[in-house]
Amino acid sequence: MNDATYTDITRSLTTPLPPPTVWARIRRLALETPLIQVGILLVLVAVMVTLIPAFIERPIAAVSILTLAALLALAAMGQTLVVILGGLDLAIAGYITFGAMIAGNATSRLGWSAPFAFLVVVAVCGGVGALVGWLCHRYRVEPLVMTLGIGTVLTGGSMFLANGDYNGQPPQELKALAQLSGTTFGLPVPPVIFIVLALGVGLWVFLAKTPAGRRLYATGVNPRAAALTRIRTSVVWTLVFAASGVFAGIAGMFLAAFGSGWSISIGDPYLFSGLAAVLVGGTTFGSVRGGFTRTALGALILTVLSTIIISQGLSEAQTRIVYGLIILAVVSLYGRERRVRDRF
Amino acid sequence: MKTPITFLRQHSWAFAAALAAVLMAINLAVSPSFLSPDRLPTTLATLAPFVLVGFASTPAILSGGIDVSVGPLATFINCFFVAVLLPNGLGDWYAAIPLLLLMSAAIGTATGILVTVVRLHPVVASTGVLFVLIGLSITISKVPVSAPTNWSEGLAKAFGWLPGAIIPIGIATLAWIVLKRTAFVSNLLATGESDISAYGSGVNVTAVRTLAYTLGGLFAGVAGVALSALLQSSQSSLAYTYALLGLAAAVLGGTALGGGKGGLLGTFFGALVLYLLQQMLTALGVQSSLVQFAFGLVLVIGVLLGATLLASRPTRSRA
Repeated sequence: MNDATYTDITRSLTTPLPPPTVWARIRRLALETPLIQVGILLVLVAVMVTLIPAFIERPIAAVSILTLAALLALAAMGQTLVVILGGLDLAIAGYITFGAMIAGNATSRLGWSAPFAFLVVVAVCGGVGALVGWLCHRYRVEPLVMTLGIGTVLTGGSMFLANGDYNGQPPQELKALAQLSGTTFGLPVPPVIFIVLALGVGLWVFLAKTPAGRRLYATGVNPRAAALTRIRTSVVWTLVFAASGVFAGIAGMFLAAFGSGWSISIGDPYLFSGLAAVLVGGTTFGSVRGGFTRTALGALILTVLSTIIISQGLSEAQTRIVYGLIILAVVSLYGRERRVRDRF
Repeated sequence: MKTPITFLRQHSWAFAAALAAVLMAINLAVSPSFLSPDRLPTTLATLAPFVLVGFASTPAILSGGIDVSVGPLATFINCFFVAVLLPNGLGDWYAAIPLLLLMSAAIGTATGILVTVVRLHPVVASTGVLFVLIGLSITISKVPVSAPTNWSEGLAKAFGWLPGAIIPIGIATLAWIVLKRTAFVSNLLATGESDISAYGSGVNVTAVRTLAYTLGGLFAGVAGVALSALLQSSQSSLAYTYALLGLAAAVLGGTALGGGKGGLLGTFFGALVLYLLQQMLTALGVQSSLVQFAFGLVLVIGVLLGATLLASRPTRSRA
């Protein structure tokens, strides 16, 4: 029997595919690994060092960039998990404000010890997040609206609890962890960088190497199929939103410590910049292509970019414009949806 | 049997309308002069930006997408009018109105093209546009610029017996009523319900979706004019607030995220609920922090009620 007697379908199933072309391989590599992001980061760092030669003489200046990027990455950590699940957490700003409020008022006003304040933030943000995740899953509510409401509740609640007192100081232990003058084992680097690094490695191991991490991806790609493979999607939703709350709450505490104080609007920029870091990093909604490594790269790209922009005498406002354009540019490179006619 | 619950289930706007009626009654009890003719123009002028930003976010949601950039678009139009057009002598109504509306419709269309042609996720596309618009607004007016005397003041007062704020809301509503008589709105709802089925029935999904964002942009432009009329200054700092407020109004009004269900009537009542709630709590002397708290709580409860008691189909778990 010669080849011609087979139908097209049989042939496509039996004859081996031709080896992928070089272009196809590069394309695949660029999609599966954050190659584009690493490239962009290297170019930006090169531009930054050329424009600001001080970085060669004093490499320690890079520490402030790393600290800012670490704080942004920490704020975007939970959002990454939620985006992998196919949702969006708009309550991040609320968790951050709550964490910052507790950090600011706990020791200086209430006389709590720093570890106790930390536990309170983890318990409250985690509990609220778990409730959000469970409710969204149980009643099929869009997480976008639910978290929008909960975020407003948290911000309003924090304002009410603070009772107009925005002058509280975060405890000294926390400041030592987050401020630029901090040292880690003698190194002139604030410990928050290493904390975020350790959390990042832990999260990478969790997402890529454990069954629980795989369940998270499976639920994000197709909740229905995941449920049919006996993944308890309700547990996944509850835990992911709880984790989002916990990470954002901790980020809020560190942000208050970093800035030696807090304000009601401390969370808003980090909600949208955190989302920008996730998107620029290359995590897309409900996709297997996502992870915290990408978000950390996204946070570094955005921080280096804003350093360049501000060093050129432009303002915070221009940074926002460039953020917007870079989100649109990077996502159109890799994260495009399928055509309606292809899904038909 | 037609119980109130079935009525609420069949009309997505009815829940918000009922809530608005209750809040209205409480408001009237707290301050009986709430609806008096003297206060009406100011009341409506404060209400107008809420309603119009809600209107602006509705078409995109109906089409099965979302546009988080309409609030910032409204504040951008406000900044552009007050800080650019007025000082440069282009502030007359016959020059400013076409210019502002054309610009907002063009920005809306750009977002739409990013969603339909470039095929970005709607949240991603509109977040990108949100950043650009907020950046531009702050560039134009870093600190609030107050407006000189201009025509838009009339929109916050009254023309004879007619409250000025009726005009922007009325124009937007009229535009929607006219569109409802064309095939556009039914195609929009069909696309939102299932873009694949709509495509299979010969609907030009790309065009309908893009036009939904154009319409949203246009409404946001009207909202920007109403906002300028109210504030008489450029306020770039309101962008984030309005980004979230518009979504809240649409969702509270029974417009389903995911598309295909809802309309401007629901959004109107949704915005009315948010406004009346704020008025009621302020009149009762509640702290502003608790007003925000109550906003969030009402949104969560409204959404949960919509998903449970008032759902037209029994809810199934995500499986």
